[in-house]
Amino acid sequence: MNVTTCMKRHVVSITPGTTIHEAAAIFVKKHIGLLPVVDEDNKPIGVIGMRDLLKLELPDFVNFVVDVDFVHDFGAVEDTRPPAKTLNKTIKSLMRPVITVDEDCGLLRAYALMLQQNLHDIPVVSKDGKLIGIASRVDVGVAILSTWAKGE
Amino acid sequence: MPILAIIISSVIFFGSLILIFSEKINRSIVAIAGSVLMIGVGKIMGFYSEEAAIEAIDFNTLGLLMGMMILVAMLEPTGFFEYLAVLAARASQGKPIRLFLLLGGITTVLSMFLDNVTTIVLIAPVTILISEIIGVSALPYLVAEALLSNTGGVATLVGDPPNVLIASAAGLSFNDFLVYSMPIVLVALAGATFLLQALFKKELSKRPRRSKAVMKLNPAETLNHPENARRVLIVLGGATLFFFVHHFLHIEPSFVALSAASVALIWVQPDIHEILKKVEWSILLFFGSLFVMVGGLEHSGVLEIVVTLFQNADGMSPVLFGILMIWIVAALSAVVDNVPITIALIPVIKGLGETGMDISPLWWALAFGAGFGGSGTIIGSSANIIVATLSEKTRTPITSALWLKRGLPVMLVTCAIASILYALVYRWL
Repeated sequence: MNVTTCMKRHVVSITPGTTIHEAAAIFVKKHIGLLPVVDEDNKPIGVIGMRDLLKLELPDFVNFVVDVDFVHDFGAVEDTRPPAKTLNKTIKSLMRPVITVDEDCGLLRAYALMLQQNLHDIPVVSKDGKLIGIASRVDVGVAILSTWAKGE
Repeated sequence: MPILAIIISSVIFFGSLILIFSEKINRSIVAIAGSVLMIGVGKIMGFYSEEAAIEAIDFNTLGLLMGMMILVAMLEPTGFFEYLAVLAARASQGKPIRLFLLLGGITTVLSMFLDNVTTIVLIAPVTILISEIIGVSALPYLVAEALLSNTGGVATLVGDPPNVLIASAAGLSFNDFLVYSMPIVLVALAGATFLLQALFKKELSKRPRRSKAVMKLNPAETLNHPENARRVLIVLGGATLFFFVHHFLHIEPSFVALSAASVALIWVQPDIHEILKKVEWSILLFFGSLFVMVGGLEHSGVLEIVVTLFQNADGMSPVLFGILMIWIVAALSAVVDNVPITIALIPVIKGLGETGMDISPLWWALAFGAGFGGSGTIIGSSANIIVATLSEKTRTPITSALWLKRGLPVMLVTCAIASILYALVYRWL
């Protein structure tokens, strides 16, 4: 069994020129956690995750104070928004390098990669490098567990 | 032959200093290599030896620093520093001026008894937290904390490494610092606080959006190990009592610090590997290596020449000489680390003493210059570097230009205050 058996074939992707503001709207509309960024040939050149956008809103102290249990009210930062200047920047400035798997990648290999690289979703590419699907940890995990039920 | 020894030992020392200040290679690595080279060359040329190098190391300084580092390493994970900052935040009720004075005050007092670096490393993150939740910029608070810890550290024997070095070399006691240094430092602190409040007037008069958020900070929850905090604080308190009487008992401050460290270790029984990891061995090695290098300068005759040069300033009044020393040392400390400067100047002052000059006021001039000078630039002291590096990871980084507008005036004012009081105290000389 390989990753194509469990991946979603309908992938929502964006181009590097998309603004952060537009990307946020796509996350909301599609209710997803990761957007592959592709070039004009539909080849993945990066990814942007929901957490990358949320990081823009997270207060600075979260990076310095390990244990925030004692802070019962985040006060002023609770209702701040990233400035318009940031939201109008393009995704290119924020996107991270993409880690993909080939269409013939085995399920266990895909799962191990996601575990080690701390990925929740992994884009799948064809032999010529084009984006053909995306698989989540749940997609891959369920596919692996289903083989137990079949007694394979 | 002595001329050659003088030239080569100077080249090794000043070459190492330049490498250290260029920050191209880690300073401890440079210092170790330089000290090994100094011994090697000294042995070949016959002016230095392993025995002489070991003798040149001031183990008093190293012991005192190590003892205090162990104590602080044990206090750090208890959450005590966060606890103090949260108490300050609540007491301020989120009002900027009050918060500014309270956080500044806590940092000042802590920096008098503990290492400035540790104080700042632990207070600065909570400062960023407090300012973010009330909705104001953390800049004034962070800059003030670094500057006040530079200033406050000069007050006590244990407050700052240059003081430890000076006390050990000059045989000054903990109480000598309380009598001769602290009063002047308190005036300098008042001046610095007043000045900072004026310089940051605009930021501090802005109304915070959510000042009430600080009231929901729970101090009790910041203490991870209340029992350990209590124990280490009791030991630190006991150590301070012994510091007050150490010279009556004829014990060195380093013995007090190391005894306190061992009592705390026995009482708390922490994971010793974790504690030792927090001890800054690179700093201890750096100090040790500098001692060895300066020992080489002493043995080759370089320091003698420097002493003779200073002696030519014989006609100058001693008070003026002291004030000049404050400003020259301060100017050097603003751009380079004050520890090598202090270690290099100590034998020079001692040499001047051997020529019959009354050097007791000069030790204080050296302490004020080395301590207050660090405020001048963003790289002037470790505390400055730490708040600057931390702020680089926030949305409002501290720039070196900002530091020149806020820190340099503080350096000038504290040095001026020290000079005036110094002149008043020592005018009869």
